[in-house]
Amino acid sequence: MAETVKVCTGNFGKGAQDIAVYRKLGGYANISSRLFDLSQFETIDIVQRSGLRGRGGAGFPTGMKWSFVPRGTGKPVYIVVNADEGEGGTFKDHRLMLEDPHRLIEGLIIAAWALGARSAYIYVRGEFLPSIETLNKALNEAYAEHLLGENIGGTAFSFDIFVHRGAGAYICGEETALINSLEGQKGQPRLKPPFPAVNGAWQLPTCVNNVETLMALPWIFEHSPEAYAAMGTPRSNGTKVFCVSGNVKKPGVYEAPLGIPLMEMLTSSEYAGGIEGTLKGVVPGGSSTPVLLPSECEKAILDYESLAALKTMLGSGAIIAFNEKCDVVQLLGVLGNFYTHESCGQCTPCREGTGFANRVMHALLRGEGHDGDLELLLSIADQYNGTTICPLAPALGMPITAFISKYRSEFEAYIAKNPNHASPRVNATIRPGAFW
Amino acid sequence: MPHLPSSSSPLVTIKVDGKDVQVPGDTNLLEALQAVGIETPHICYHPYLPVSGNCRQCLVEVEGPRGMGLVISCYTPVKAGMVVATPASSQRVKSTRKAVSEFMLVNHPLDCPICDKAGECTLQKNYMEAGQNESRLRGEVGKHYHGNPDNEFVDSKGQTRGGKRVDLGPRVLLDEERCVQCDRCVRFMRHVAGDEQLQLAARSDHTYITTFPGEKLDHEYDLCVTDICPTGALTGKYFRFQQRVWMLSRTPSVSMDDSLGANIWIDHNEGHVWRLMPRCNPEVNRSWLSNTSRLAFEKFAENRLPASDIESVKLALQTQGKVALVAGGECTLEDIVALKMLKASLGDRAEIFVGSFRPVVAADGIAKSGDPVANRAGFKLLGLAADNLADLVKRASEFNTLMTINNDLWGDDANQAKALEGIENRITLAAFNTETAHKANVVFGVNHWSEVTGTMVNCNGILQKLSAAPTAPDAELIPTFQALSIFAGTPITEALEAFKVASKEVPVLLGLSYETIRSTGAKLDGVQA
Repeated sequence: MAETVKVCTGNFGKGAQDIAVYRKLGGYANISSRLFDLSQFETIDIVQRSGLRGRGGAGFPTGMKWSFVPRGTGKPVYIVVNADEGEGGTFKDHRLMLEDPHRLIEGLIIAAWALGARSAYIYVRGEFLPSIETLNKALNEAYAEHLLGENIGGTAFSFDIFVHRGAGAYICGEETALINSLEGQKGQPRLKPPFPAVNGAWQLPTCVNNVETLMALPWIFEHSPEAYAAMGTPRSNGTKVFCVSGNVKKPGVYEAPLGIPLMEMLTSSEYAGGIEGTLKGVVPGGSSTPVLLPSECEKAILDYESLAALKTMLGSGAIIAFNEKCDVVQLLGVLGNFYTHESCGQCTPCREGTGFANRVMHALLRGEGHDGDLELLLSIADQYNGTTICPLAPALGMPITAFISKYRSEFEAYIAKNPNHASPRVNATIRPGAFW
Repeated sequence: MPHLPSSSSPLVTIKVDGKDVQVPGDTNLLEALQAVGIETPHICYHPYLPVSGNCRQCLVEVEGPRGMGLVISCYTPVKAGMVVATPASSQRVKSTRKAVSEFMLVNHPLDCPICDKAGECTLQKNYMEAGQNESRLRGEVGKHYHGNPDNEFVDSKGQTRGGKRVDLGPRVLLDEERCVQCDRCVRFMRHVAGDEQLQLAARSDHTYITTFPGEKLDHEYDLCVTDICPTGALTGKYFRFQQRVWMLSRTPSVSMDDSLGANIWIDHNEGHVWRLMPRCNPEVNRSWLSNTSRLAFEKFAENRLPASDIESVKLALQTQGKVALVAGGECTLEDIVALKMLKASLGDRAEIFVGSFRPVVAADGIAKSGDPVANRAGFKLLGLAADNLADLVKRASEFNTLMTINNDLWGDDANQAKALEGIENRITLAAFNTETAHKANVVFGVNHWSEVTGTMVNCNGILQKLSAAPTAPDAELIPTFQALSIFAGTPITEALEAFKVASKEVPVLLGLSYETIRSTGAKLDGVQA
């Protein structure tokens, strides 16, 4: 089998944190007339032709996102790097920034050239102290070599990058919440429209991109957009960095072309190297994506469309495999705690509803479940849909629905632990008209 | 701030529940639907606050590129031809609103029987309209304590509760349990009061309203947050546990505190005023009322002058020499008409002076103009000088008699009033036993402005109507205009008669009557303070 092309992870373990090593490995070759001879339009066109899609989870075409940023308005354009990786099971951006910070800087310079941006902010999750240190060191090196700052490469192009440390809220991975947090406000998603491309940070045009998305750019410009588009499937082009965790032999960060079968990712010696124990299920794209049963895993192909057909999502590429020893009810309880804790408290259905569902789940776990609790949970999960500003509540609703419908017997076993499970609920029923 | 429909809004046609309707085209869907009589329940939306869109109660379905989708009507602009579905035609909207209503009540204590807001609570109203679901909460899985962890306690039933009677400042208390995190109060302080004293702290269902550490909620408009609070979370200390709101009768009136003439409700029960509430008037005070105007009612029944003998005033007015009639800003147009009658009856020896010794301060842009002479524009309208008190001070020695009408000269500024002490014969017509009344030889008690019917012209030339709340402490008291007309020898008993006299005299009032002045007032062209 031919060696897989590594677009983002090629420099892993080679000491590319050092700018000299990075240059020796071919880095910053793009920051030359190769880039500066292109017009903004041509630069964006290359990204569009590559078929690169946002790697943060939603999979929105990057070139199209860039084309939404208004031009010639006289307003400054900001680029914001979303490095607030918080989705359960995701750790790729942390690794990418630790191993290859200069590739992110190079990608940012390309993006800045395309968008005409003067400055960029890398919003790094607060807990990622090592990444922040690595990034700051790399930025100092890049400034010293005049890859950043005023008049880069003797052109009129000037560009600055600032590292901003977040406070570790999951919701700040949502782009408008991230912008609010960057501005110093409470990290809560904004009402849309206006979208950040038009009205983002400080009410100015802003492009928010994931770390991995930007790190794919140097390869695309070094080789060709067609070479990138040739990898992967016809609609999901290129490679994707997957983070495999859970009951596998070699958990870690692996890059593979999109369209690779899920089982190959889990069992191939090149990747995760096999399952520990018997596979019971796989969460394919981060904790909020619906779980796949082993039978579905056999069919699952890792690209945006194939997973959508299985009613789940590629998301951030965080593959969590679990074996027969895993108690899925407890697993869902952990997710419930997480999303309840991380709800920003803005929209009613999420603020109140995540906690409501979580308390029902934990009553179940304590052996205090009642008949009808599963219907209640499914109904609460359904009530999240379409009622909130951002998809945090549905991100709990999806696993609730998937876990209960796919592992129902285990949930029922928990209910059966309550000797009084069949007794009618003690309801504080309020009947209208009773006292007003 | 949301764009509100007005009389100049262009009309567009949209399809609501399958029917074409004409709605104002320059506003949001919530207001547009309201304009055609479709009420949309909402908690966080307020027409005079920026849209926050967090309560999710006002969801409707709107047709988009991917079919009918749920949107919040408060944040969706009206577009010609849009297709909208309300609960009347969409089961999905109905069930979603019900779901949001359920979520809203998950952590709400339902202590309506002891809650001051019950009866005028938005949450209660919305539940009756959109919710009415059977509770699916079992005690142990339902409630969760909302609020500042410092205020947490466990009640006798073992439930974690707390945040009762949290002291936010000198006037406002917070019951954290009842809060639904709509952040109206936060937005009010930030965008209207312009002093960001409240903030939502923490997140998820721990979110609670608080002030900054060590700071208090203390602002001239802080009691407005108790009006806009959709639940009983924020309550004014002055009104807490005083009255059930359904026991109160409301009289629409106008605050004569300053020349903006903030529109108010006088809420009274059994002849006692319990509170003054802002009455929404987009052109005047919107939904806001300053603490000064609001809390003025506490003094309405205190220190009042009793009804007195008319003959003694008449006798005092017959004293030889010139008479200075000094009118204060609380005089209504009707009072001014009667005042002019009195001057006419006294002939050349009487002169009218208008003004206050209280200084004019800058308008705050919310609900105060800063001018203590409330009806200054009214004096001008009826052809009187609107500010000639300084003239009187200069010429004090010319006068033998000083008659003050609703004007507390000595109470406002005793230093300036000292110059008038040379006038020996002093008559005071007032509602309260003021400093000026102490200085007078003859005192005559009249009704307070909250107890009279009448009109005033505010600083922007809007003619506004005051209605009499039946709260006079002494039934014998008569309104100022009636007293003055009796002194003039041509008694007027009905305010309307006095208004008719004025409308004959002043062209812009022609054709106006108490019936044709709308609740939001009548704009008089070319009139200003």
